[in-house]
Amino acid sequence: MIYPKTKLLMASIVTLGFIIVGTAMANPARDAVIKEFSAGAAQPLSAERGKELFLSSPATGKAETPSCTSCHGATPFTTGQTRAGKPIAPLAVSKTPDRYTDPKKVAKWFRRNCKSVLGRECTPQEKGDFLTYMSSQ
Amino acid sequence: MTGQTGKIKVWDLPTRIFHWSLVALVILGLVTGFISPEWWMGVHVWAGYGTVLLVVFRLVWGIFGSEFSRIETFAFTPSEVLAHLRELIFLRPLHFIGHNPAGAMMIFALIFFLSGITISGLLVLGGEENQGPLAGAANYQVGDMAGTIHSALVFILMGLIVLHVIGVILEIRLTGENLVKSMIDGHKILPAGQKAPETRPSRPLAASAFLLAFAILAGSVLWAFSTMPPSGIREMTANEDFNTECGDCHEVYHPSLLPKASWTKLMAGLEDHFGEDASLDQETAINITAHLITYAAEAWDTEASNRFSIVSQAAPYQISATPYWVRKHDEVGEDVFKRKGIGNKSRCAACHRDADSGHFDDQMIKIPEN
Repeated sequence: MIYPKTKLLMASIVTLGFIIVGTAMANPARDAVIKEFSAGAAQPLSAERGKELFLSSPATGKAETPSCTSCHGATPFTTGQTRAGKPIAPLAVSKTPDRYTDPKKVAKWFRRNCKSVLGRECTPQEKGDFLTYMSSQ
Repeated sequence: MTGQTGKIKVWDLPTRIFHWSLVALVILGLVTGFISPEWWMGVHVWAGYGTVLLVVFRLVWGIFGSEFSRIETFAFTPSEVLAHLRELIFLRPLHFIGHNPAGAMMIFALIFFLSGITISGLLVLGGEENQGPLAGAANYQVGDMAGTIHSALVFILMGLIVLHVIGVILEIRLTGENLVKSMIDGHKILPAGQKAPETRPSRPLAASAFLLAFAILAGSVLWAFSTMPPSGIREMTANEDFNTECGDCHEVYHPSLLPKASWTKLMAGLEDHFGEDASLDQETAINITAHLITYAAEAWDTEASNRFSIVSQAAPYQISATPYWVRKHDEVGEDVFKRKGIGNKSRCAACHRDADSGHFDDQMIKIPEN
């Protein structure tokens, strides 16, 4: 038998849990970053295209980094490793809630990593798709 | 007494203990100096301190020891030494109850070179490694020079040890007296017809007082030196950009590990940084460059800052390509670098536990087992 008070407490905890997870998923700073890319994109942002980009092996950049997964690991949930051995927090927002909330950091890493992997800067469309995918994971 | 040989106590217990302790410490010093991996340096240093104590003890015992331990009993004149060497050439040496002139020469030579080895060793420790009582007094250049002298003297010492052993074997063959056994039980043969000489006993109290006085004096001098801050090491203000921007991808290398020119080149070529784009916004790049130049190798006088200043011409900012790095890691197999606990050659701190300080003490090396 569960007492009403206990029930209320459990309900509160569950609700609070949802709020915390919810805030982590939908962060205003991150939303602004994504919105910025969306504004420069020709098509609506797509998590599916973001996933394709993440899993692709373009090998058009530097030889040491043929794809995103060479350093970030096979899935958005894996902890990656830099070539010099430093761990990289998972890309999925559910795993690393504070990701993509600092526009300067986002700009820096897209600039560097797109050049390293693709050999060119990424388009706003690609960046937006990528972040949409990672935010949904 | 005629026609009979007697025995006479020649080497007192302290002299015998001294001799075999010195043998042990010299072997320990040679093994830890030539064979053992770098991180045994602590033991090597203690072997050195022990040797100093033994040499000092022997000199004091040379004054206050029992008869045949006293230096005056084996301080032969040059003509006596020459005469003895001539007898040796004809393989007919006269018998000496205590040390013979050749043996005496060997003792003086060993004490001289052991003193030189320990003094130069202390200078290497202070100058190159920035450790020990002379860390503040000796700079890197002094330590480096002392290192050359230290090695040279050690090679001479090894030559002397070989001569010493040959001499003992020769003496045993020629006189039939087992000198090794004498140095263990303290007795030598008193030839037939020879009267036992008057022997003076040792003066342990006087010797102890003398040793104590020396220990206090030498200890105070070294202590005074040790209060000087280590030379060539400076305070470094942390730079947040440097720590986070560089540390995101790799170990944060100490700025003293490369000279200014190398850091400047590195910072100018971040678009292709060891095969990756590591470009920074201008403001951050300027800030980090300033930090690196302020604390580059030129600003320090450590072993690492001096050694890594000579960079590879082909890869002027790759620390693991510097000639010194390559030479020092020559014996570390490629498979060792691939161990899980290491990964690759960029990870100094995997084995050098004090890498972040730029010190790279030999004793701080610990290679992960897997």
